[in-house]
Amino acid sequence: MTTSTSSQAVQQGVRVAKARKTLLGHVPISSPFYKFHPVTRLIMFVFFGVIPLFIFVPEVNFALLLINLMLMRWGRVNLRGLRIYMPIIFTVAIFMFTVVILAPGNDPSYTPLQAGPITIYYQPVFFTFAAYWRLIAMLFGTILYFSTNRERDMLVALRTLRLPFIASYVIGLSIRSAGMFMEDFRTIREAEQARGLDTKAMRFSDQVKLYMMYLIPLFSIALRRADEISNALFARGYTLTGRVGRGGKRQDYIRSLYKIRSRDIIAIAAMALIFAATGYVQMRYGTFAIEHSPLNIWLRGQLGIPF
Amino acid sequence: MASNVWTLEEGEVRRPGIVHVVMLALFTGIGIVVGTFGSLAIPLGFVSAFWPGQAVQSIGSIWFGWWGGIAAGLFPLISNSLSGSAPLPVSIAYLPANILQGMIAGWAFRKYKADPSLVEKSDWSVWIIWGALVPNAIGAAWGSTMLVAFGLITQAAQLTTFLGWFIGNTIPTIILGSLVLKYVSPLVVKAKAFCKGYWA
Repeated sequence: MTTSTSSQAVQQGVRVAKARKTLLGHVPISSPFYKFHPVTRLIMFVFFGVIPLFIFVPEVNFALLLINLMLMRWGRVNLRGLRIYMPIIFTVAIFMFTVVILAPGNDPSYTPLQAGPITIYYQPVFFTFAAYWRLIAMLFGTILYFSTNRERDMLVALRTLRLPFIASYVIGLSIRSAGMFMEDFRTIREAEQARGLDTKAMRFSDQVKLYMMYLIPLFSIALRRADEISNALFARGYTLTGRVGRGGKRQDYIRSLYKIRSRDIIAIAAMALIFAATGYVQMRYGTFAIEHSPLNIWLRGQLGIPF
Repeated sequence: MASNVWTLEEGEVRRPGIVHVVMLALFTGIGIVVGTFGSLAIPLGFVSAFWPGQAVQSIGSIWFGWWGGIAAGLFPLISNSLSGSAPLPVSIAYLPANILQGMIAGWAFRKYKADPSLVEKSDWSVWIIWGALVPNAIGAAWGSTMLVAFGLITQAAQLTTFLGWFIGNTIPTIILGSLVLKYVSPLVVKAKAFCKGYWA
């Protein structure tokens, strides 16, 4: 919608959509991410989600994390929505470091360090530190995608990549149905609250039991919905092959709404190039090996630990 | 009667249809919600102290055969990404174990003709052993091995991770899975999407 038609709509009292409901929140329609084709955004997801696998230097993975955060800010993602990930970010660190302190392994080449009453070993602890930033960089690549894309964007991207109809339909419907079940879940909870159920006053074990009991109506709704949707698909002539009754290919309306532009081609080419170059230099020369970490080099120098 | 659930009626023909594909998608949707909530509820690093997603995996294959098995492989890819409990490449590496985690229960219920509504003691044993203990042992072993392979944990930390994973998945599987099987199975076995065989 252009600015003039948009202002006309506002004058006429018509509500104009200003934000898109993504899989993890709401993002303004004016977000620069939406200037790119969904397939470009999907490739960016793979790029940021996979590239840390080649990188063992924690500083580079930390930089990737910052790039992800900057992209979210640039894409007008509400960063306060990331608060839901705080517990998992901290518990992952606690889990990883607790495990490596309790079970460091028995390699005689490890360097023991005294940290108060406990003995830790430098090599496995630094390895865990590097692994942690690698993991967090990969996670934020994923969070960036799900924060800026809708189920529809994923569907368009998969169809543009010529994924068979049945596979893209299942992925699209499953993500959409997750949203529908969340709605059902809210409806069930509101119905309980309307009948006077106070979950805040319940013990934790009772809350867990209640959570489990929610699944029973959800499954019943799913069964009914499966019948309704399959009947609706049958009535519209959909088949498992995605072809129409006479054997021809069904027109893909949703895909026709999106065009790949030069900016998409440039972005995809740049990501492919960086990805291939990173993979090559790591596998050929070990450029991103943990030994090349400036922090590792500095710490070893300070502690007198040879490579 | 346990065998009646799985035995075809006289002249009954069952073929995979669009209802199974829709059920696969909807079941994946339930798995995404349950798996995401489970991972965010009580996270313990890579493992959750309470991951009821495994119950959904086992139940899916019991009710919907391979369709449930595919859902068992598919939904953790998305729920792990949404909850932040595992990045995409690691989730892809978990795929074979996730499919197995789902399909073992489906295979055992068909093989031993156990009733999904858990009527007899033998149904309970099949459920506990093949629906909870064995799949979770395999899943935890595979998952912790993949974490070592990806360089996210050290070899020495594998056993601790295995135990946390196994316990965190098995307890909710037994509690949640038993409740759902007991109360929802009588409805499901009458539904069009229920699979007496592996595909229909």
